[in-house]
Amino acid sequence: MSLLLIVILPFLGALLPAVLIRSGRGMAAAGAGLATAAALAGVLAHLPRVFAGEAVVARLDWLPALGLSASFRLDGLAALFAILILGIGLLILFYARYYLAKADPAGRFFTYLMLFQGAMLGIVLSDNILLLLIFWELTSLSSFLLIGYWSHRPDARAGAVMALVVTATGGLVMIAGMLVLGGIAGSYEISQIVKAGPAIRDSGLYPLALGLILLGAFTKSAQFPFHFWLPRAMAAPTPVSAYLHSATMVKAGVFLLARLWPALSGTPEWFYVVTTVGLVTMLWGASVALFRTDLKALLAYSTVSHLGLIVMLLGFGSKAAALAAVFHVLNHASFKAALFLSAGIIEHETGTRDIDRLGGLRRLMPLTFALATLAALSMAGVPLLNGFLSKEMMLEEAAHTTYLGGVWVLAALTTLGALISAGYSFRLIVLTFLGQEREDYPTKPHDPAIGLWLAPALLVAVVVVVGLFPALARPLVAAAAGAVVGADMSGVVLKIWHGLTPALAMSAIALAGGALLLTQARRLQWAGVALARLSAPAVYAAIMTGAEAGARRLSAALHDGAMARSLAALVLVALAAGGWAFASAGLGPETRAMLPVPPVVAVGWLALIVASLWLPFLHRDRLLALVLIGIIGLMVSIGFIYLSAPDLALTQITVEVVTVVLMLLALNFLPKQSIAEPFALRARDAGLASAAGLGVGALIYALMRRDFAAPTISAYHVENAYSGGGGTNIVNVILVDFRGYDTFGEIIVLGIAALVIFALADVMLRRPALRRLIAWTPDQPRAGDAHPLMLVVTTRLVLPVALMVGVYIFLRGHNAPGGGFVAGLVVSIALVMQYMASGLAWAEARLRFDYHALIGAGVLIAGLTGIGAWFAGRPFLTSAFGYVTLPPLEKFELATAMAFDLGVFLTVVGAVMLALASLSRLSHRAHHDERKRGETG
Amino acid sequence: MVWDLLITGFLVLAGVFGLVGSFGLVKLPDPMTRLHAPTKATTLGVGGVLIASMLFFAAKMGHFSAHELLITLFLFLTAPVSALFLAKANLHHDRPQNLPHPEGSEWAILRIGTDTAAETLAGPVPEQPLTPREGRET
Repeated sequence: MSLLLIVILPFLGALLPAVLIRSGRGMAAAGAGLATAAALAGVLAHLPRVFAGEAVVARLDWLPALGLSASFRLDGLAALFAILILGIGLLILFYARYYLAKADPAGRFFTYLMLFQGAMLGIVLSDNILLLLIFWELTSLSSFLLIGYWSHRPDARAGAVMALVVTATGGLVMIAGMLVLGGIAGSYEISQIVKAGPAIRDSGLYPLALGLILLGAFTKSAQFPFHFWLPRAMAAPTPVSAYLHSATMVKAGVFLLARLWPALSGTPEWFYVVTTVGLVTMLWGASVALFRTDLKALLAYSTVSHLGLIVMLLGFGSKAAALAAVFHVLNHASFKAALFLSAGIIEHETGTRDIDRLGGLRRLMPLTFALATLAALSMAGVPLLNGFLSKEMMLEEAAHTTYLGGVWVLAALTTLGALISAGYSFRLIVLTFLGQEREDYPTKPHDPAIGLWLAPALLVAVVVVVGLFPALARPLVAAAAGAVVGADMSGVVLKIWHGLTPALAMSAIALAGGALLLTQARRLQWAGVALARLSAPAVYAAIMTGAEAGARRLSAALHDGAMARSLAALVLVALAAGGWAFASAGLGPETRAMLPVPPVVAVGWLALIVASLWLPFLHRDRLLALVLIGIIGLMVSIGFIYLSAPDLALTQITVEVVTVVLMLLALNFLPKQSIAEPFALRARDAGLASAAGLGVGALIYALMRRDFAAPTISAYHVENAYSGGGGTNIVNVILVDFRGYDTFGEIIVLGIAALVIFALADVMLRRPALRRLIAWTPDQPRAGDAHPLMLVVTTRLVLPVALMVGVYIFLRGHNAPGGGFVAGLVVSIALVMQYMASGLAWAEARLRFDYHALIGAGVLIAGLTGIGAWFAGRPFLTSAFGYVTLPPLEKFELATAMAFDLGVFLTVVGAVMLALASLSRLSHRAHHDERKRGETG
Repeated sequence: MVWDLLITGFLVLAGVFGLVGSFGLVKLPDPMTRLHAPTKATTLGVGGVLIASMLFFAAKMGHFSAHELLITLFLFLTAPVSALFLAKANLHHDRPQNLPHPEGSEWAILRIGTDTAAETLAGPVPEQPLTPREGRET
């Protein structure tokens, strides 16, 4: 199975639960499980090649010039992680099917879970760091959704936001680091970067890249001091905690460290930073876990501690340490996921997960007891379980690594870590299961049905089998470790008995010490209190409060709701950019002569200037301002006609009409006079507006007096309009063919804008806005005779003529001035006239079509026309044309561009009419009651 | 020669009407009387130009031009409507006192709720509820 398909499968699977949830959550889970199982089978099928040391690759170039390609690579490390993600994912789906309460929206849960699974799989299979980054942020997002799944709970919401802020910020920092790294290595392909290891480490930018990438990895893998989000994320449902926050997502940081290990490791910076952070995290997490009474919090801190252990091993920089790290990834995922799932069972069956309220569950829940105990003993590092093996390898490596000038430093500290780890593992078993049975469990405990215990049982089976027969895990672990260090590791042996080594002694000390720690737990309570006080993420809170306040201040400064201010900010930035561009480059000599100015043109130009200058002085009277704007628009249209741009003139005139009608409708609700602003504001606006307007004028003048530096594209358009686009109206051919993609985007935007106007107006028609609307008194007296007979008759008479003009303009558009856009506006105006003359009620009662549908149909027709080109083997929106002869008619041309133009036409009619009808509906509603009063009075 | 004279005559006539109209716009005392000047001038003045244009095309270019007829049609349709609305606006806004009242009643524009097109509007299509979406929220 292609790797591309494997990565896509979970995303496809994310759609299934949403659809299947109507047939029950069993079906939804089965659908998601099917996709997961298929992807897992695909990965497993590649295993023989991976074990042989090969890497399976798949590649899809997107923008090769920018180094952007969807390239995937499955080697040993990726295979190990992929099997963890998909295998545990399958178990989690099964478990969650029975875990979620009836009231929980299960379909959404499975969809989120599959999205996460796809993102995580993408991370481990990506061979391009830019692609990896996208999946990286996707895991942050899907984790946010999953943590906040119970969105009615404040702790879930806060935890979700915290996880997102910490991990996504880390991800953003990492993007910078990855770009630096890619810059040094000269490629964004991981397989290339890894080969460029020595060059990277010698580069002066190495510390920068390393620091930024480590920040990303440490935040994701909950390393000290960014570990605090992980315990808060425990507000998520337990399957999520087991899946994301112990087995997979938090290992993404570890994965990245392992992936880039050959490129980045082996320097003192790497050794000290990574080892120290890992070591501190391991000790810190373990110490806090020792005093937690919430089962999930205890497990969360122990996860932090174990992640620290793996990071520390990667920091060592030796091959054996890397092997131990990879092995521990596998072992930790199995026993910790089993423990989380057991904790979920305990909470499900007893109603609490506070170990102070538990105890004595051994006889009540024997099966859960067996599973949780085996997993916890593995976590403690007891022999014959898989946790022992990797811990032993870790201690062995620590005992041989020089740190801060001595071999014993690491040996002592890691033994301490293992000791505390054993302590909290024993404590978990003893306080939960052993001791007296109690009378006061919130509910009566008993073992769950198979749905809940099967998943942890399978995980525990892995714990035991790997613990007893480590050779079974050898191929996978050796292949993964080989992929990390970039060498053949197939010769390694995993075994239980290494003889009497220092590690064995350290292990024994740790276990004995752990047991001792358990008996002394009461005396150490003070330490727990002190730790709890220290671990409060006050810094995070301070940063968040500061960032929030800063963001609020900034957005308040940029736009406070007054349009003048946000426009001022926009214009100011544009001015600054323009001024900077002008100042930083010279202006060439004028190469074109001025054209003569005939007197008529001068008069028109003067009229335009007078009207424009007049506007600022009169703008407070809004109706007058509208009249002036209309005049300016008409003058501009005449200018277009004079300059031989009939298409633009047609468009300008029709747009002018529609705009004036739209503004008149809006003016209905606005005060007819606007308030005078303080002088300072007026001075600011006048200055900005003059500078921007004169600047644009000067820019255009400068452009027109010079020849262009490069030949323009106009010649191409003139040459190819007829031969390529089949039309003699170049403007229209540009719109529907050369730049058809732009037009397609624009009509979509137009449709969306109209829908937004509709939505806003619709809100106004609902309570309580409706009440305000009805109570609204107009600021000037209303006139009677709303529908004068003369206007009604005239508009109805004109309607068919206007529609015919619209059709005429549409049909000639390809070869003569006109086209779908103008035709749409003409038809809209014809329809709006009916609204104005005969009233909303009359017009809507005769309306046979829905404007929403019209917009949709327009976009659809335009899109389908574009797709049609694919069937001819051409790119999107390539047009075709031909000449047809139908007996009674003359020979005429048929072009696919016409169908596209029809889409434009329909969208324009729909959008304009929807906007105008929404506004007129508002004013109709406002005057409705008033009119009734008039009738009765 | 005759054609030239004819065309010029119509053009001059149109110009005179245009001048008279503009002069009236300045000279006439109040809005209601002032309304007459531009509306008459538009129809007659522009009409003269159009006839001149038709004659020009028929005599000089040798083909009949129908555009002018369409322009005339649209002028005849729009000029009265805009005049009506100017008058209505004046009635509504300034409430001139010296106008004669319609027999037995008041000007329609001054009585809220009147509808001169009421019979025309009550067509065969039954009235639907105005905002069908409104009902859904309850």
